[in-house]
Amino acid sequence: MRNTFINTILEACKERDDIFILSGDAGLGVFDRFKEEYPDRFRNMGAAEQNTVSFAAGLAMTGYKVIVYNIIPFLLYRCYEQVRNDICCQGLPVVLVGIGSGITYAPQGMSHYSVEDLGLVQTLPDLVAISPIDPCEARAAASYALDCHKPVYVRLAKNGEPLFHQHEVTNIAAPQIIRNGEHADTAILFHGSVANEVMAAYETLKDRSRAPLVVSVPTLQPFDVPAIAGILSGFKNVVSVEEHYSNCGLGGMLARLKAETCADWQLTSMGIPYGYIHDVRKTAGLRASLGIATEYIVRSVEAVSGFAS
Amino acid sequence: MASFSRRIRREIIEMAYCSGGPHVGSALSCADILATLYGAELRLDPWHDRDIFILSKAHASISLYAALAARGIMPPEMLATYCQEGGLLPAHLDRQTGYGVECSAGSLGHGFSIGLGMAFGFKRQRSPRRVFIVIGDGECQEGSVWEGALFAPRQGLDNVTVIMDYNNLQAYGRPAEICSFEPIAPKWEAFGWHVCRADGHDHGSLLDALHEESRGKPKIIIARTTKGKGVSFMENELVWHYYIVTQEHRAKALEEIG
Repeated sequence: MRNTFINTILEACKERDDIFILSGDAGLGVFDRFKEEYPDRFRNMGAAEQNTVSFAAGLAMTGYKVIVYNIIPFLLYRCYEQVRNDICCQGLPVVLVGIGSGITYAPQGMSHYSVEDLGLVQTLPDLVAISPIDPCEARAAASYALDCHKPVYVRLAKNGEPLFHQHEVTNIAAPQIIRNGEHADTAILFHGSVANEVMAAYETLKDRSRAPLVVSVPTLQPFDVPAIAGILSGFKNVVSVEEHYSNCGLGGMLARLKAETCADWQLTSMGIPYGYIHDVRKTAGLRASLGIATEYIVRSVEAVSGFAS
Repeated sequence: MASFSRRIRREIIEMAYCSGGPHVGSALSCADILATLYGAELRLDPWHDRDIFILSKAHASISLYAALAARGIMPPEMLATYCQEGGLLPAHLDRQTGYGVECSAGSLGHGFSIGLGMAFGFKRQRSPRRVFIVIGDGECQEGSVWEGALFAPRQGLDNVTVIMDYNNLQAYGRPAEICSFEPIAPKWEAFGWHVCRADGHDHGSLLDALHEESRGKPKIIIARTTKGKGVSFMENELVWHYYIVTQEHRAKALEEIG
């Protein structure tokens, strides 16, 4: 996803001379081609996150489309006030590209995990938040962000994610139906870096003739309530899966949507348990220990669908 | 320019009195700096190619509003709406105000870096536009200021001039007693800035510093000032960071300012 995202920007540079990338001393090798082709459109701002974000605001005021790239905690947490006051309050169309969504940086430790960033984003009106699942959505997110007149936050996993979409994504702001289910009662909604677990769960359920509808919700702010409510209409069970605290992520959003629309489906929210992560494991192992690995998704869907063994 | 300063000071007192708001001492502290910039230094015509001024110590916003009105950029009648119900001017700066408020600010250490970003953009566009930023001395306790201070010289931002309004009095005491940043000039010098000193209440001294050649470096003018300058009972008095101007204060202050 990461390389696809940057390559999409690189392509856009052929037509546009207003694009500028700022990195916070992050992204080994990611910008090599960009720096080679457009050396005057890139600056490594160093380990100075507050200055970087405010600087981006100033540069955007002079007419540049500024892209700020960093690991998510250093992009959003360290300089939340700069993002709030300088980018969002001033309505500047800066693109904040965060890498390492969820626990994809495991086992780097809690400082490098991004399990509450969408909660922060929801406190920032007008900040568009996109959490793509694969290179196809990452490409659409990059195109959207480049044309958007608002600030945009794109949360990406680390790198090397497989392709799940079968066609190009034309509207990243809409929920994406990834697989149609045979089992018409249950839908899985998810976003971002937990995609491979969800899709593996889908394959297992399909083999058992219990395949649910699978929907990626890449754009979490604004949250397209009518479109999502429309897709879920008629379903009995909704399982949300995310590599994020579910209380302030997709799970929380769906709970609010359910309450506000008086939907009669049952919601099961799967996410990172609310707490700090001290286990030392790689991403797959950590997902398993936190209850969001494939087997748990399969089990949840089977339980709510009445197939529990 | 003396009359420009006087007008700014009178408006500061009026706005502070009518709003019942604080930060009068901070606003009076930089009144002469703003008078020098808006009265003599800033190139504002044509407007679309103007120099940029950023008041990073935005709690002194009334000094900027007064300067913009005096310079004919902001309609003078707007000043009466400062901090009033349904008014147009908030206590801290909001870019949506328009009329020459170039950047929202109010949290210390932000306007400085925004100014650097703008200066970088102008450089890249080969534009002759310049950026002037006023920061407070207390503001130099912010880490973000030093992040920007490290970065700017490497980019050769000689189109940036920072003026440090050094009144040696922050909200609750002397900087040296709270979190000392001295020696301040060698610090900026060591970071690669061209450092000048000026009397922040002497227009001539400020202009000399503004015109000093910086040889490709960003420039900082350390301007010695007095908090509450121009009103004897406010000068160098800690309480006038937050005290409210009463009718009696107002009358006495306006009499002194002339």
